[in-house]
Amino acid sequence: MTAAALASPAVDRSRSRSSRSPLAALVAPLVLVALWQLTCLSGLFPPQVLVPPSEVGETLWSLALSGELERHVGESMFRLSLGYVIGAVAGLVFGATIALSRLAEAALSPFFLAIWQVPVIAFVPVLVIFLGIDEPFKIAIVALATFFPVALATFDGIRSVPKAWFDVARVYRTRLPDLIGRILIPATIPAVLTGMRVALTRAWVVLVAAELLAADSGIGQMMEMGRQMFRIDVVLAGVVVSGLIGFALDRGAKAIEHRAIRWKYA
Amino acid sequence: MTALLSRPAARILIGLIAPALFLSWWQWQASAGGAHAFAFAPLQSIGAAFVQLIEDGSLVTDMVATLSRSLAGLAIGGTLGIALGVAMAIWHPLDRVLGPLLNAIRQVPLIGWLPLLGLWFGTGQGTELIVVSLSAFFPALLNSYEGVAHVERRYLDIGLLYGFTAAQRFRLILLPAAMPLILTGLTQALAFAWIASIATEILLSAGSGLGVTMQLAQTQQRLDIILVAIIATAMLGFTINHLFQRLRRHLLRWQPSAL
Repeated sequence: MTAAALASPAVDRSRSRSSRSPLAALVAPLVLVALWQLTCLSGLFPPQVLVPPSEVGETLWSLALSGELERHVGESMFRLSLGYVIGAVAGLVFGATIALSRLAEAALSPFFLAIWQVPVIAFVPVLVIFLGIDEPFKIAIVALATFFPVALATFDGIRSVPKAWFDVARVYRTRLPDLIGRILIPATIPAVLTGMRVALTRAWVVLVAAELLAADSGIGQMMEMGRQMFRIDVVLAGVVVSGLIGFALDRGAKAIEHRAIRWKYA
Repeated sequence: MTALLSRPAARILIGLIAPALFLSWWQWQASAGGAHAFAFAPLQSIGAAFVQLIEDGSLVTDMVATLSRSLAGLAIGGTLGIALGVAMAIWHPLDRVLGPLLNAIRQVPLIGWLPLLGLWFGTGQGTELIVVSLSAFFPALLNSYEGVAHVERRYLDIGLLYGFTAAQRFRLILLPAAMPLILTGLTQALAFAWIASIATEILLSAGSGLGVTMQLAQTQQRLDIILVAIIATAMLGFTINHLFQRLRRHLLRWQPSAL
């Protein structure tokens, strides 16, 4: 688990898997937590500034027991999945449309590229004005954050299919369903899946930001409330949970990606 | 159709249809008095807001504030990221020690650190700069690590052949070979710092900046001001990224294949 393992997962993970046991991967995080605990025990920082992991663990445990954690995580996950599905489907359709039709590309891509220059987070004030600060706003911002990477990846994926493949298909008089099912989709799926993974990470970041700004539930709101009440244990618990969720989302998406493109290297 | 699409002028015209339709729909919504008519600022008021923000100088002030925040964050985070990335790639014990810590930090969405940083450093401009620097730090770190760690073996062999000292090897082989990736890292870092500036300005509203103005305008229901700020954000972001790309190409002009 070094910086290299993160930057090029495909190469390094296989290498580290063969040379290191799964137990070894646990050593580093355990050392980290132990160091954190020791720092707190040494009294270097007052408890208003840093609380030991044991206390964060206790807070997490009591949040979990009271059902509060489940509610926050559940709300965040609901927003994330609904917004993500909407954004991904829209992105797929839009990307495919401008990739397959030159006319659609000429008509829509300049507008699309212009809007793409705006960081998604900058749409937060606009969406708040139109949708208020409730659920529709959070789902819309997640959908927006998902839409752009997916649309772009779909466009690139379809456009990078070699033209010769279509020529071959024409020679063989491939019917349209076969053309789509056996050439277009298999050829574009790696790029699309990468785009969808990137979109998932971005959607999660944007959702946490939106919840920090305005929400009555969700992980982001839990942290923000913790901050306002000077409960550093709650804030740290939120940091840990959002880190774990981010990690799980990224790893899950990578696993799906690897599984789906296995045939490429077989 | 294809003949029409191959003419640049025709393409531009076709490209203008969608924005034009959108703007007329917008104007219609603003004047039709639907449920959200209050929110749709008519085009003339957006124009008026633009003129007003230019005249009182606040647009320029905001652009300068956001831009300098991004560049300061890029300078701090980028420098630390490159230094640490290169150090970790050269000296493995450092990688072993810091790797897991940095990895753990990276898993949390950057914005997720805001409440904690807010408790530690307050919700002022200092915290904004810390988050922007952090956002620039990681791409710079990861790319320079990659660049130095994966320098081609034969380059180093030549250094061995010539009897280079460690310092010479670093300055004459490792650094130039890693330069393309380091610059890629800095390009990414700039884009991240720019987005983080806007995000933290919206979330903390400290100091001045395009994000601060947007957030303030949102509480006053002034969509016209928000849109002017968004357009300024888009154009400024596009310009700095473009300039940086050109600078990168210029610095790498010695490379046989421009990346």
